[in-house]
Amino acid sequence: MSGPSGTEQGDAADAPPGEERLDAREFGGGLKSYLTGLLLAALLTGLSFLVLDVPFVWGPAVPMALIVLAVAQMGVHLVFFLHVTTGPDDTNNVLALAFGVLVCALVLFGSIWIMDHLARGTMVEAAPAEEVGAPR
Amino acid sequence: MSVLGKLDWSAIPIDQPIPLAAGGGAIALMLAALGWVTVKGHWPYLWREWITSVDHKRIGVMYVVLALAMLVRGFIDAIMMRTHQALTVGGGSGYLPPEHFNQIFSAHGTIMIFFGAMPFMVGLMNFVVPLQLGVRDVAFPRLNSTAFWLTASGALLVNLSLVLGEFARTGWLPYAPLSERSYSPGVGVDYYLWAVQIGGVGTLMAGINIVTTIVKTRAPGMGYLRMPMFCWTALCASMLIVAAFPILTATLTMLTLDRYLGFHFFTNAAGGSPMMFVNLIWAWGHPEVYILILPAFGVFSEVIATFSGKPLFGYRSMVAATLFITVVSFMVWLHHFFTMGAGANVNAAFGIATSIIAVGTGVKIYNWLFTMYGGRLRFPTPMLWSLGFLFTFIIGGMTGVLLAVPAADFILHNSLFLVAHFHNVIVSGTVFGAIAGYTFWFPKAFGFTLDERWGKRAFWLSLAGFVIVFGALYIAGLEGMTRRLQHVAVAQWGPLLYVSVAGVAVMIAGVAAQITQLVVSIRRRDALRDDTGDPWEGRSLEWATPSPPPAFNFATLPEVGGEEPYWRIKERAIASQQERSASDYEPITMPRRSATGFVTAFFATVIGFAMVWQIWWLAALGLVCAYGAFVAFAWRDENEDTFSAEEVARIERARRGAAA
Amino acid sequence: MSAAEAQEDPYVLGRGRGGADAAGEGRGGDDARPSGRGEGGPAPKRTVVGYGFWIYLLSDIILFAGFFAAYAVLSGDLAGGPGPQELFEQRRLALETAALLISSFTCGLAGIAAGRGAMLRTQGWLLVTGLLGAVFLGLEVQEFATLVAEGAGPQRSAFLSAFFALVGLHGLHIAAGLLWAGTMMAQLAVKGFRPAIERRLMCFALFWHALDIVWVGIFTVVYLLGLAG
Ligand code: HEM
Ligand SMILES: [Cu+2]
Repeated sequence: MSGPSGTEQGDAADAPPGEERLDAREFGGGLKSYLTGLLLAALLTGLSFLVLDVPFVWGPAVPMALIVLAVAQMGVHLVFFLHVTTGPDDTNNVLALAFGVLVCALVLFGSIWIMDHLARGTMVEAAPAEEVGAPR
Repeated sequence: MSVLGKLDWSAIPIDQPIPLAAGGGAIALMLAALGWVTVKGHWPYLWREWITSVDHKRIGVMYVVLALAMLVRGFIDAIMMRTHQALTVGGGSGYLPPEHFNQIFSAHGTIMIFFGAMPFMVGLMNFVVPLQLGVRDVAFPRLNSTAFWLTASGALLVNLSLVLGEFARTGWLPYAPLSERSYSPGVGVDYYLWAVQIGGVGTLMAGINIVTTIVKTRAPGMGYLRMPMFCWTALCASMLIVAAFPILTATLTMLTLDRYLGFHFFTNAAGGSPMMFVNLIWAWGHPEVYILILPAFGVFSEVIATFSGKPLFGYRSMVAATLFITVVSFMVWLHHFFTMGAGANVNAAFGIATSIIAVGTGVKIYNWLFTMYGGRLRFPTPMLWSLGFLFTFIIGGMTGVLLAVPAADFILHNSLFLVAHFHNVIVSGTVFGAIAGYTFWFPKAFGFTLDERWGKRAFWLSLAGFVIVFGALYIAGLEGMTRRLQHVAVAQWGPLLYVSVAGVAVMIAGVAAQITQLVVSIRRRDALRDDTGDPWEGRSLEWATPSPPPAFNFATLPEVGGEEPYWRIKERAIASQQERSASDYEPITMPRRSATGFVTAFFATVIGFAMVWQIWWLAALGLVCAYGAFVAFAWRDENEDTFSAEEVARIERARRGAAA
Repeated sequence: MSAAEAQEDPYVLGRGRGGADAAGEGRGGDDARPSGRGEGGPAPKRTVVGYGFWIYLLSDIILFAGFFAAYAVLSGDLAGGPGPQELFEQRRLALETAALLISSFTCGLAGIAAGRGAMLRTQGWLLVTGLLGAVFLGLEVQEFATLVAEGAGPQRSAFLSAFFALVGLHGLHIAAGLLWAGTMMAQLAVKGFRPAIERRLMCFALFWHALDIVWVGIFTVVYLLGLAG
């Protein structure tokens, strides 16, 4: 979106998310920002598919490479499509985003960590002694 | 399957006298109330002024009314559980058969947490936050109304299970695989799922609303570090709602998919993982306990500062501690299942994190103590509840830290010691806080104070009853008694159970006194009238408007300087006794009343009911109608009412005249 | 408020003073407002609505995080059934991804057009956005139907349950978005540009872009990582 309508003059110091600010012009106003975003996103997506098909990344590193590319693409979307920047007028939006991302990460990685250990700790066959806390 | 899905005459529990009588009684009571309203011709008034109201103060009051009713409902469950258990000691069989006993402890927890404590807190936030921020309403008034009615819809569904079908027997958190279709084929768990989901969506809406209100609509000059403590805790609790409730929604949706469509998230078969349910539900569950307690901390901060005649000690450390708790509460959830077998490393990490979170709470306790130190103390009822909280909550916090030691938890988990711990923090934290807030802000809402004599009686009886009940349960837990026993086979626990029943009797007296207080106060309202709008010498902006506040809260938005805005305004008013002339006021635009919330909740109830009984066509119909209503409401042009400047001036003058 | 008065006030803490003093002088000149912290009084409605919707989106992303967590934990539990490498098709995935990415772009174009008050272009780009979304949804439905027909439905294994739920939830959001876009287009056509409708457009754009971000997560974690094995 490019600017509030005439009837609702926005506070220059306090913008809704997704709004392009005047100082965001350096990314190229309007169309240019979306075009850049589209280009970068397409590039990163293409790379992701390539990593899978063409063996130019060392095999065991493929998952990591894919994840890095995905995170980069999410960043591209945030900056060029959602116009989330580090400007002072964006503080509230970025803070909320940071909190949300933190919670996502905690739930995701916490669950993986916990469930991994639970699976090992409750395996009937071969539970390693130090995991179930048996006396050594 | 028939047109009505699984619903037929067998859904009515003819063979079970207790639920039938209770349900019949409740229905009779409701019919009587509805009949009275009809006969008196109050419907138009209720519809116009309350049901379709989008005024945050009205909605806050309705939340509290719902919460009070549900607290009483849950309390009745508690009385039945305690007395039944005591009766089974020494070979007796009590009066609750196992399947019924299990429904009661499940309904008790569900109702108390989701429809008692939560709505109470949300109601207080709704009522107080805009007033304290010095603004005219919450950010999204119509969403606010929708949120309330969805909560009410969930409460309705839970209580419907009393007379139509059954409730879950799986506890307040329906652990899988017990809650899967194969082990719980009835409609009980479905009632739980749909009621909590609908209420949860309402809670999420309320959370979004309050966060936005606090971040984006404060009075001029009301910087973050000038907000009263209650606003801070409301902000943090609402952030927790926004971040935690989606996890609950996700988890319950997975269970719903398992039950309705044969998915295998949490089943024993086909690779499902019941432990994943426990993990996910507590990832919501621990933040939830802080959603319950943080607003109560805010209430205590306001009350203690007011009745010490001092600003809150260590305001900034209080803010920091609250923010700290908000973030860390997402890092401790495993302490609810230390015993499931994640191993020593994981347990140690979460045990340490859990102990650390208690530091934030400790900081707060010291701040309250130092606020009182050297203050000019007064002891009206809200202050008594706060002091009662201070003394008892410390024990609850310390038993929590004890449970946070994995080695100790292996012994105490699922014992009555745990039950005593969480009642210790929830009753003497959240519920005492709720009642403190209720007595503190009641005069703001209605223009007269509550009767002090009955208030003090209610406090002392509740406190004594609480200490007796849960003191006994702590000991029973240490002696090895586990939770949720339908039959008590160990005679040694008998005396403790009898003591706790005695405590319940005292608490009943406390609740009765609390109700009496309300009745007596309404009767004596002329004697208790408060014309100043500030009966307690309050310290924040809500006390700078008349009681009850006009629809627009403030004739002119207050300009804020200093951390305790009210003092400045008060001083300035005294210095310059002049009144503003009518030309100083500007017209005020307020959102017009709207049936959106009520209609939405109506369809939500229909859909929930249809899904419980698997009446697919009705669910589909409800969905289509809901979409239709949504479009119809979205199609309206912005609906607002305007108070003219003269009208504002008139209302304001009348208030000043009364206060003079 | 005079400077002397401000000094007497014992409880002014840290930052925020400047804001209060400035706001106290002459109400609400834009330059008197300190940056981004809302101390100049309630924010304009557009900002409030945008922020509220932003908060909703965060909660929605956390909802997805719950399903991602379930998928991550359960994706290895095949119960003897087929795994990702036998089921996922890279060509369809590429098409889906392209459709959604381009629709995110056209959604931005609709926003620009709306900002300039160009009705026809706004409607046109919204239509393109919706059509691309429909293409995506069609491909997804086709995939689901194929899987179910192969006996790899959600009841087959925990892995497939988690897969169908996560990807289906995203699809459900897309479907809701289509319904929303359609309703909004009708509204725009009947009523023209109004503040309320413009705010809805802004929220829709946020919603649609966010869904594309979630899809980045899905095609990486579910599909590509699944295919990588
Ligand atoms: C002072 C910090 C606290 C600590 C260290 C703490 C610690 C714990 C631990 C370790 C457990 C699990 C025990 C077990 O299942 O064996 C637990 C259970 C619980 N706590 Fe706390 N807690 C604290 C504060 C609170 C507060 C403030 C509340 C609510 C307002 C609360 C509510 C609960 C509930 C509801 C349960 C158990 C529910 C159930 O199993 O059904 N706790 N607490
Ligand atoms: Cu906990």
